[in-house]
Amino acid sequence: MNEKEHQVLAAYSRGEMTAIELRRRLDGATYGEVLRLLSEADLPLPRAPVAGREEQIARARA
Amino acid sequence: MSHELFVVDTGPLITLAAAQSLDYLLLINVDIVIPDAVLHEATRDAALLGAQDIIDWVKAHRASIEIAATKVYENYDAARVVKPNLREPDLGERAAIEVIEEPDRLLGNERGLLLCEETAVLKRVVVRDRERIVELSTLDFLHILETEQRIQSAEQVFELAAKRGDFLPARKSCRDIVR
Repeated sequence: MNEKEHQVLAAYSRGEMTAIELRRRLDGATYGEVLRLLSEADLPLPRAPVAGREEQIARARA
Repeated sequence: MSHELFVVDTGPLITLAAAQSLDYLLLINVDIVIPDAVLHEATRDAALLGAQDIIDWVKAHRASIEIAATKVYENYDAARVVKPNLREPDLGERAAIEVIEEPDRLLGNERGLLLCEETAVLKRVVVRDRERIVELSTLDFLHILETEQRIQSAEQVFELAAKRGDFLPARKSCRDIVR
């Protein structure tokens, strides 16, 4: 993995880039390959923040 | 959760498969729909992470899971005739949106859930009927199950999915992987 690939993976891991944008930048990598690359780079999966989305999540629970 | 329809995108399907937790999708009493393009993206190569698990799981629960045909996939399939290696990273998402927005899917006051990859809910997936369609990330879904005491730990599922990559052979670069 080169530095540029690591940078885009890190941005994705921080939730700064969507999975689709990341996959485009990685030459059309699949989502499964993204999981593998995150693991290889020792980066966590992104987590969508709850703040600002409480109402939406409450609607899903209703 | 008391929704009538639950459409799953590719990311959540692979994440749950990687964590050996696909059965969590069956814990809610709704119609589960996997668009054809999502299933294709997740399983087009049996060697892909989670692909075989997804194939086996769909076969085992075929009676309770609908595989929905979409125009998005039909067009993609037609385009592959002239361009066999065609890749469309947003194929699954577009198909999932097409399915959940189908006019006959939600009747009256029925509501639907669109299970998306984490970063997709941040950009807010573009759905027309925001009153009745809720986008939910994989972790949101797992946290809801955890809150309702249907699973032990949402975070553990995510950690399992992330660790699954450790068992796969390392490649030299992304270009090698996608070839």
